Amino acid sequence: MLLNFDGLGAWKWPLVIFTALVSLFLLLPILFIVALSFGSSQWLIFPPPGWTTKWYVELFADPRWIEAAWTSLRIGLVVTVLSVLLGLLASFGLVRGRFRGAETLRALFLTPMILPVVVFAVALYAFALRLGLNGTFAGFVLAHTIVALPFSIIAISGALQGFDQAIEDAAVLCGATPLEAKLRVTLPAISHGLFAAAIFSFLMSWDEVVLAIFMSSPTLQTLPVKIWTTLRQDLTPVIAAASTLLVALTLILMLLAALFRKGDAR
Amino acid sequence: MPAVAVPVSSRPAPLGAAEPSGFAYVVPALLLVIVFFVFPVAALLLRSVTEPAPGLGNYAELFGSTTYLRIFLNTFLVSGLVTLISVTAGFPVAWMLAIMPRRLGRIVFAILILSMWTNLLARTYAWMVLLQRTGVINKTLMAMGVIDKPLELVNNLTGVTIGMTYIMLPFVILPLTGVIRAIDPAILQAAALCGATRAQALRRVLLPLALPGILSGALMVFVMSLGYFVTPALLGGTANMMLAELIAQFVQSLVNWGMGAAAAFALLVVTLGLYALQLRFFGPGRAGGL
Repeated sequence: MLLNFDGLGAWKWPLVIFTALVSLFLLLPILFIVALSFGSSQWLIFPPPGWTTKWYVELFADPRWIEAAWTSLRIGLVVTVLSVLLGLLASFGLVRGRFRGAETLRALFLTPMILPVVVFAVALYAFALRLGLNGTFAGFVLAHTIVALPFSIIAISGALQGFDQAIEDAAVLCGATPLEAKLRVTLPAISHGLFAAAIFSFLMSWDEVVLAIFMSSPTLQTLPVKIWTTLRQDLTPVIAAASTLLVALTLILMLLAALFRKGDAR
Repeated sequence: MPAVAVPVSSRPAPLGAAEPSGFAYVVPALLLVIVFFVFPVAALLLRSVTEPAPGLGNYAELFGSTTYLRIFLNTFLVSGLVTLISVTAGFPVAWMLAIMPRRLGRIVFAILILSMWTNLLARTYAWMVLLQRTGVINKTLMAMGVIDKPLELVNNLTGVTIGMTYIMLPFVILPLTGVIRAIDPAILQAAALCGATRAQALRRVLLPLALPGILSGALMVFVMSLGYFVTPALLGGTANMMLAELIAQFVQSLVNWGMGAAAAFALLVVTLGLYALQLRFFGPGRAGGL
């Protein structure tokens, strides 16, 4: 009755309308930014009095925005590689290892995901000040890898748990070395987990702002830090243009993920 | 690896044992986490009892002053409100998403993912613009004659609550959808056959069955809200700070590491305590979106 869409009777339409309203609540602000980014009003009047692409021109003409985006991209890619590699190794250990304290270790690896990021940010800030890591590329990479790693471990160990180790053993019996078997049998079989880990790790780093605020220096900042410092000054439509490009990137990643899932469902 | 070649036939079984314990695999990640996570956090917490003078002076000041108590109160109040609203609004949506025709469900699902994956600052920026005095919401309400002068929707706790509810909603809806999907529809049919009305079936069958999922989602949102920094800093006002902002302010503007560390420790204890509670009652939950 209540778990059958057609059995809801008189409740059906109120519930559907409510769901539509909540969906609109989630969707409209995003569409709103996209519209504003093409609006001609400096004061963000809505609906815009006219349409323009001048905010995009302004965005691309400012080397600080381009540089920040480039820094974010470089950090994100390095973090993705590190987080997937470390996550893969750790997942092998956690899923297949037979050692005491594996559960505790897993909990430790997942802690950066639940600890309020501001606590970690302040702690790492103090530590980085002593090591001279503030404002360095390595500092950003370290900070972001720590918070990306839990997501990588969850995705990869989930895939690894679903893979029957007997297949890898069979490859070894057929003459492959253990490393060959892992690289050519196991890795392709858990590629969906690796892919998910890569996407989550990249997004984690690309969107991360709190750690980045504490890690940044006037000479090295990521895109979110640039948005943050600009937002604290005024609400210029240039931010709307930058945000719209970020929304577009999200859409592309969603599409990629959907295509990959389709290809994966053999 | 072994220097002596062992005939395969003599040892067929323990192939899986080729990795004796597997601990070596964990070492690189473990080193990273210990050096750059465990150690810095521990070192920070230590400063709360050593700076400026050894002892519990920082904690006495933190819990003894009405200014800081108000910040704690604000944090709990906003987190509680955000939790209440997102769970109340999220449950019907999760319920519909679980039973909707697939094509409709896919649209709602895509909107949830888009909203969740869109840059946090972009979403917060949208609300800063929407909620300002001359923003769309105030203008529409004034044009409709609902209000005479603009409402103060931003730079206060109202703005923070709206902005954070917006961010937390997908985190409630997605896991809850899974919980509701896992409930056997036959149980609800049985309730109907036994003469239950829809309201009775909802109150006495569906809600109790979904309750563990609802509570665990509520706890997760509450904990996430307690430590939130970006949204309160941008949508809130200077008069109504939240805990995460206080920590950042102690460290960045006031350079008072002792107090900053004490406030961080308070936040850490509450957060990890509530998570332990969640693990104890609901088992290892799934993080939103994964």
